[in-house]
Amino acid sequence: MLLNAEFLNRFVVFFGGKGGVGKTTMASAAALRSADAGQRTLLVSTDPAHSTSDILETELGSEPTPIAEKFWAMEIDPEREADLYIQGVKDRIGESTAPRLLAEVERQIDIARASPGAEEAALFERFTRLFEDAESEFDRIIFDTAPTGQTLRLLSLPELMSAWIGGLIGQRKKVNTLGRMWRNVAGSAAGDDLSGKDPVLEALEERRERFGRARRTLTDSARASFVFVVTAERLPIWETEKAVGSLTKYGIPVGAVVVNRVLPPETGGEFLESRRQQEADYLKRIDRAFGPFPICHVPLMEKDVVGVDALRRLALSYLGATERR
Amino acid sequence: MRAARDIYEGVYIAPYRSAIHREYLRQRDLFLLLGFSDLLGVPNPIAFYTLELYPELLEQFHEWHLRMGMEQPPEGGFRCC
Repeated sequence: MLLNAEFLNRFVVFFGGKGGVGKTTMASAAALRSADAGQRTLLVSTDPAHSTSDILETELGSEPTPIAEKFWAMEIDPEREADLYIQGVKDRIGESTAPRLLAEVERQIDIARASPGAEEAALFERFTRLFEDAESEFDRIIFDTAPTGQTLRLLSLPELMSAWIGGLIGQRKKVNTLGRMWRNVAGSAAGDDLSGKDPVLEALEERRERFGRARRTLTDSARASFVFVVTAERLPIWETEKAVGSLTKYGIPVGAVVVNRVLPPETGGEFLESRRQQEADYLKRIDRAFGPFPICHVPLMEKDVVGVDALRRLALSYLGATERR
Repeated sequence: MRAARDIYEGVYIAPYRSAIHREYLRQRDLFLLLGFSDLLGVPNPIAFYTLELYPELLEQFHEWHLRMGMEQPPEGGFRCC
């Protein structure tokens, strides 16, 4: 069963699914296919286990590394991103902070670095920057995401953050209005001059603008799609069903479902025959659950998929022949 | 004439002025609470994105604890003095 690869024709394509179902392999093959079709493609992995480096047989870093013609790949390390972000904040505030406060401010920032969620936030920060900066250099970004739960949370951040930051902005504006009133009645006794620009408000509004842009990209079905990889087994199907529901709730378009490691018909033997019967039931369930989306079967391979040539063969089997455009 | 102005000032303007000041400080404190709720143990999902506000808010926090009659900042928060 071949799938027309229409879902790949987006600026941002995410590959997700339960751990171990073959996300990295499918994302790499899709990225290679996209590059072969003439699109400048960047494959981005956030997997700390460096499996993308392994599959592509190239040591990847946090900047795009050329792999093949029109094909680049990179691995983002959340820990390193968080450290860089913290260092950036410290550099920026260094000049504007009163020296007597600096040590305490830095201590607080280090505490924030250690808090749960810091790495996730840094990762999200890098994602949004990629959306914005990569547009001039690449036609397509393919994300090989972390296992489902983490990814869903990451993708739900723009909505959550926008709401929270909106509340802060509203409160800050109220403070500024009252501050001006207070100055009007108290004159010079009021102390701080509030007539100029408010750096706090500006920083918050810039943040909100970025969250807004990320959200507009993620929820635009002409620019983004999310591809789920599953295997014909109970837990991956169950987890993906839930994930599809969540993405729909956040308005992120699901592009396709790829069923990996389907037993090829030519394999035989009593053992495999009974596996195949069970698989047939699960495949039916997949059709029922994900019927509205394109579904694509990828056969179980004889050997591990490693290297560009093997990925090209895999891409041929699941995405069809290349059409240069 | 000057006495009349002082009376007017004392009877009409002063209460209005102090009410505005109180409200201004109240709303400022609320902003501090919203932005730095994690210091009180209330999770703040955007704490990581507001780190750049620390210098400004640390000043405000210092002013707050003095105004609340605490010479030293409360335990567990900013150590501003």
